[in-house]
Amino acid sequence: MIEERNGADGAIPGSDALLAALASAFTGPDGRPVPVERLVLTAGQLAGLRPVDGAGVLVPDAAQLAALLPGATAALVVLDGDGTENGDGSNGTQDAVALVTHAAVGRSHLLAAEAVAAATGGLRRAMGALRTEAAVIDALHSVGRRLTAQLDIGRIVQEATDAATTAVGAAFGAFFYNLVNQFGESYTLYTLSGVPREAFSRFPMPRNTEVFAPTFDGKGTVRSDDITADPRFGRNAPYHGMPEGHLPVRSYLAVSVISPTSGEVLGGFFFGHPEPARFTGRHEYVAEGIAGYSAIALDNARMFERERDFTRELSRSMLPETPTVPGLELVTRYLPAATGPKIGGDWFDVIRLPSGATAFVIGDVVGHGVTAATVMGQVRTAIRSYALLGLPPSEVLRHVSALLDSFTDSTFVTCFYAVQTPDDGLVYANAGHLPALLLRADGPIEQLGEALAQPLGVGSVFPERTAEFRRGDDLFLYTDGLVESRSRDVTEGLEWLLEAVAALPRPVTVESCDGLVAQLTGGTHDDDVALIYVHRTGEPG
Amino acid sequence: MTEPERVAAGPFDDEPAGSVRLDQVPEGVVLAVAGALDLSLAPKVQRTVERAARLRPALLVIDLTEVTFLASAGMAELVRANRQLGGQVPVRVVATGRLVLRPLELTRLTDELTIHPTLADALAAG
Repeated sequence: MIEERNGADGAIPGSDALLAALASAFTGPDGRPVPVERLVLTAGQLAGLRPVDGAGVLVPDAAQLAALLPGATAALVVLDGDGTENGDGSNGTQDAVALVTHAAVGRSHLLAAEAVAAATGGLRRAMGALRTEAAVIDALHSVGRRLTAQLDIGRIVQEATDAATTAVGAAFGAFFYNLVNQFGESYTLYTLSGVPREAFSRFPMPRNTEVFAPTFDGKGTVRSDDITADPRFGRNAPYHGMPEGHLPVRSYLAVSVISPTSGEVLGGFFFGHPEPARFTGRHEYVAEGIAGYSAIALDNARMFERERDFTRELSRSMLPETPTVPGLELVTRYLPAATGPKIGGDWFDVIRLPSGATAFVIGDVVGHGVTAATVMGQVRTAIRSYALLGLPPSEVLRHVSALLDSFTDSTFVTCFYAVQTPDDGLVYANAGHLPALLLRADGPIEQLGEALAQPLGVGSVFPERTAEFRRGDDLFLYTDGLVESRSRDVTEGLEWLLEAVAALPRPVTVESCDGLVAQLTGGTHDDDVALIYVHRTGEPG
Repeated sequence: MTEPERVAAGPFDDEPAGSVRLDQVPEGVVLAVAGALDLSLAPKVQRTVERAARLRPALLVIDLTEVTFLASAGMAELVRANRQLGGQVPVRVVATGRLVLRPLELTRLTDELTIHPTLADALAAG
């Protein structure tokens, strides 16, 4: 939107000196000056005068004079501001002062008005044109800024269609765009502006006819004063022109939207108007500009979506199946961040070892997105492999940490590794991860493994500890998304967690675990959360 | 592609973004971090450490006095800086208060990093 400009900015004829000079030009038949009043006209009064573009002084005819200023014998209306349209279709500031006399007058004021008009008309027109140009650039710039700040494809296409349809002054506009679904199949959608969707809903998608082909093939803009007179129009069956009931189109403008990264045609803008010769070179320029911004915005949105889907799929596919373990009730959860599109590097694993023991793993790879997800997959597999070899916890972590050292980019992975042995025991090691909670059957909660060792990829020694893990006891492993955020430090978060876990009805369920996450994070965890809850029911396996 | 200095959006958007500053002092350079040192700010810390390294200082102090939240992404940068420069340039970390010290203790990075309670102390230490 362009701001309203104040009158001084465009005041060519509206100055006081000009008003005074013109007032003195009102003379009676005897050549002597007559009394002249100044009246400020409202926009409504002015509208009745139908100002001519570029004219600075208007001479009301007899009928207009009688309607506007009953009793007046003559008047001149001096316009302030340039009176041209702003780029958005609204009228520019248009102040007007009427010089009015009730005395008998000659023709001298008319001559003066003509002289003023002749002297200032060109300048006013030039200013008007410049202002329109500036408005076009302003509009283009603000559309571009809005579009390229978006990542939601639906909103991008609608905003772009609305903005472009308005900017080119079309009766209606449409944007057809191609998308690729999860199966890799391409399909076409469209948005409309200036016309209800029903007006088009019964027509098939436009095909690659001779009229549309240049746009869908990315061969350049098509602009026609009258598309019905175009040799390409109406040559294709079955419609030979527009389908029955199509909105009437004479003026036609179509612009391709081409990906700046792949050169692929992402879609096309189509504008129509029932009257001929409505679209100018300027409109073409604006439409191409908006199409360019739309292409960037769509490219960004598609890449963003691709990465998000890919990461989500990757991290989902790497989540393990939790095995059934006799004597244990297991609840495992992985909850992606509730806010923001990112996927983190949290994971959990439950591994039945050849010895008959069960290993519980919880960990967190620093970072988000594809990198974190792929590192997580590698670390998870490495831990699983060393675990299945029967290595003790400290050895498992030491080997994985050494493995991470060989990665080119430095990594930082926290991990709690615990093995439940058949003799009611728990052996564990902790690589920089938050302490695990051991809930005794009779109530007390113990924190296990606080600050035992450095993270994987940093440390090389991972001491082991043991604890008793008897019937009726529960073990709770979790990641930092549950206890820390920018608004809650880890000390406070751990206190809250201890309170909340103590209050959970046992044995816990999937629902109560999700409830715990919601309670502790306020449903707005900006990090992902993984957790394992193990309840020893009693009967050993 | 340029990297935005702060990419977080959501419920914490109203909070002041974290910042990283590099100051040259007679003893070396001080990299002062303020606000939340998490995944949004970590890349900036990494770039600033690299910039500091190019100055070939006699000492690099990473001052976390003004840090309000130290996430693992931030700690990973401290380790990276310590390992990248540690060979040639002594790296010291100023950390005080549980907001910063507790995460460093839980991950035992207190064993790896040289930690001082104040900037003056870090600059004065031999």
